[in-house]
Amino acid sequence: MKNGLALFLGAFVILALSWAGLLLTAHQQLGSLSQYKDPTDDVLYPQPLSGVADQGRLVYQDLGCVSCHTQQVRHEGFGSDIERKWGLRGSYARDYIRDNTVFIGQSRLGPDLRNTGSLELHPYADAEYFYKLLYAPHSVAPGTNMPAYTFLFDVHPLAGRQPSDKAISLPGKYAPGAGYEVVPTLRARALVAYLMSLKDPFDYPTERNLNAAAAPAKEGAH
Amino acid sequence: MNSTDNNARTEQMEIDASAKWPVLVFFGSAILWLIAGGALQLIASIQLHTPSFLAGCAWTTYGRVAPAAQNALIYGWGMNAAFAFGLWLMARLSATTLRHGGWLFVAAKFWNIGVTLGLLGILGRFSTSFELLEMPRFVTLILLAGYAMIGVWAVTTFSIRNTENVYASQWYLFGAAFWFPWLYAIAQIMLLKAPVRGVLQPVVNAWYVHGLYGLWFIPVALAAAYYFLPKILGKPIANYYLAALAFWWLVGTTAFAGGSRLIGAPVPVWISTLGAVANFLLVVPVVVIALNLFGTLSGRYSALQSSITLRFIFVSILGFVLASAFNLALSMRGFAQVVQFTLMTDLRDWLIFYACFSTAMFGAAYFILPRLTGKEWRSTILVKTHFFTTALGVVLLTAGLAAAGWQQGHLLNDATVPFGDITKVLTFWFTFRSIGLIVLLIGHLAFLINFVWIACPLNSRGTPLASFHQPPDLSLPNPAKAATEGHA
Amino acid sequence: MSANSDKDFHLEQGGASDDSIQQVHAQLQKQKPDKANGYSFLPLGILGLMCTAVFFGSIYLAHYSIRFDPLVVNEHAKREKPGAVVATAVPPAVLGKKVFSNICATCHQATGLGVPGVYPPLAGSEWAQGDEERIIRIVLLGLNGPITVEGKEFNNVMAPLGAALKDDQIANALTYVRQEWGNKAPEVKAETVSRIRAELGARTAPWTAAELLKIGH
Repeated sequence: MKNGLALFLGAFVILALSWAGLLLTAHQQLGSLSQYKDPTDDVLYPQPLSGVADQGRLVYQDLGCVSCHTQQVRHEGFGSDIERKWGLRGSYARDYIRDNTVFIGQSRLGPDLRNTGSLELHPYADAEYFYKLLYAPHSVAPGTNMPAYTFLFDVHPLAGRQPSDKAISLPGKYAPGAGYEVVPTLRARALVAYLMSLKDPFDYPTERNLNAAAAPAKEGAH
Repeated sequence: MNSTDNNARTEQMEIDASAKWPVLVFFGSAILWLIAGGALQLIASIQLHTPSFLAGCAWTTYGRVAPAAQNALIYGWGMNAAFAFGLWLMARLSATTLRHGGWLFVAAKFWNIGVTLGLLGILGRFSTSFELLEMPRFVTLILLAGYAMIGVWAVTTFSIRNTENVYASQWYLFGAAFWFPWLYAIAQIMLLKAPVRGVLQPVVNAWYVHGLYGLWFIPVALAAAYYFLPKILGKPIANYYLAALAFWWLVGTTAFAGGSRLIGAPVPVWISTLGAVANFLLVVPVVVIALNLFGTLSGRYSALQSSITLRFIFVSILGFVLASAFNLALSMRGFAQVVQFTLMTDLRDWLIFYACFSTAMFGAAYFILPRLTGKEWRSTILVKTHFFTTALGVVLLTAGLAAAGWQQGHLLNDATVPFGDITKVLTFWFTFRSIGLIVLLIGHLAFLINFVWIACPLNSRGTPLASFHQPPDLSLPNPAKAATEGHA
Repeated sequence: MSANSDKDFHLEQGGASDDSIQQVHAQLQKQKPDKANGYSFLPLGILGLMCTAVFFGSIYLAHYSIRFDPLVVNEHAKREKPGAVVATAVPPAVLGKKVFSNICATCHQATGLGVPGVYPPLAGSEWAQGDEERIIRIVLLGLNGPITVEGKEFNNVMAPLGAALKDDQIANALTYVRQEWGNKAPEVKAETVSRIRAELGARTAPWTAAELLKIGH
């Protein structure tokens, strides 16, 4: 290989092919994926995030939650995500078109969060639960190594006032002490709104039919 | 013959003199980032088994420290070290001086300011949360401007070469110099400037991350291996006629292998399948490269005892083979089903970046720096400390994280095990990792001290001057045959 | 002839000049390997490895790319052409559950038990499981005044839903009600709803229980 030009052209062609073959093709296929209209009640899925939940997405992003949490449910037969109640079904590409930034993640030091807002799967996980989890993780999830996000909360002295209606109630040893209240900041409220919005309740018929396992693969006779 | 030798000799001295300050600046900043990144990495690792450690402040929460550490190591240590080594080797092999080196200072300033701002951005709430692209948007142009000067220098140096032939190391360096800015610019445009929709973002991200490891760090490490083996052993690469095939096949398949990071993800299944096939095809070049490099070493393993560069390069080659095997294993669906999303996923990238690339750069630094400064390494103990901590750390962390990931994956896939129990099991392994990282950090500090002694004008007075022998000419393994070939 | 004889690592000596490395390797690149027994094993071995890798790689790619379909994420999905994949119809009761939980459950509750004394129950109700002619009319135009359900008296108003819901939505929701909580009654067809809607013509007044009892049986 004496020829610098051949080296340059080869290097150029390889990356150009990879870019066109992988990224452009995928963009061609998925770039215009649209919402699915449920024929029974004309609702479009996935439903868009509310404004405050989208603010919360930015908090999720800047705190680096993606370092420990995935947001992808692997389909039935590949891992036990569904058995762990991380989703009603495996995730599809269409679920993510509502997300301005997609955090599918690659580490599960913590549980998957794709359906963390689904009260159907986790009836206990209401907004109060998430506030407690963020302020004092051990109060709701004993033994977790999730850090406390105390900086997302204001601890006020009550000084004789009525407590704020937004103050969170903490069990004994996690409470800041008598005469104090813990109030979530706007960032905490946005983050919790985002977490509560994470759910994929609707099963798209197109995807379900296309992804049905081939008959002879596994327990085909049901 | 003597006159040409003298020419070669003086020219090399000129080259080393022209490269001295740019390369020293790049190596110096690389080592500082190595220490800073290592410290951040240690903090993040400690936070996993002691979650209250530095948790009260937004700047030091795990989700920010961990990516900051990763970015400091990749863009601070990795890129700076690769620039230093790449520029020096490109100048040497092209037999031309690095001209107008002052611009490279400017480039180094740009690059390091960019990385610093980027890290502050990650720690101070501007992270983008895209793997290895966490730095906020505003540093992109600073980094690209810095890189433009460095990359243009490497390519210009190559194109004004005074040699008739182009050696394998130059293919890898030239390719890497060309691929990095392309990968980086496209990823920035498709993820941050004009973001693509939905799951296309992870696809672009995986393409970039895989490209950065496979088309930048691995080629730079292989350039070092292909150069230093014949350079120090005085023996040509075995079966060299296969090296070009291996090069094209390696980069051609690596470019398509990014999808293998998305097995089981909600992306079209053909993307991960294509990635798995590409990783499978990589077996061919890995076998050829192993034949090249181990074939050259065979019969000469005793030389490892007396050459620190060769020792590091040897670890690097082992790291390359191991990382490739790991990559292949992780693209097997049955295996990925267990170990993806575990500590084993981190291990794959760490093997490429640390066991393969970083060790190659250590080896290169031990060879290059005395030639630039004209001084010897002052402390043998520190050199040995560096090597043994590195080797020990690589073995400990590889074995430990592999075992941890395997266990973690099986627990994750057993839905009857509550999540808290998995964390309890992993606490032991997190502590283990912290210890491994401390071991590595000790070696890096030893390296830093020796570097200061050899390179810092104020501190290097007591360091003895180096004297180099004129290296002999390499001879063909079979002269009679070569002669006939040459005439034909 | 290792270039470094000392073991103290102060300095690395080169074992070959850069210039000669380039020249020798440029020759080696052109040079064919030794042919010991008339052929050499290595190039053949590499060629064999290449062919094997490409062969199995192609088979794997063809097998697990599932027509390069953008919507398929499961590598074990059916491999037939898209047309051959039969769309499985969703049972009307499943579709109806959604309508029910959005609208009807507000009063009749997700459990179908209603609120004692205020909203009548649907679970086990003789009305819900009775003649479809009656309940379709109730949903279309609403109900006003006293009604006896499961032996208990209720006196309340049910809003008309005929304008808010389409025929198939009403049919699905009623089918759900008639087959959930242990209820066992036949499915309600969308055509029946359309027919009754047409029969009602311009009527907008809500029904009374007495009026309904005259319809059907």
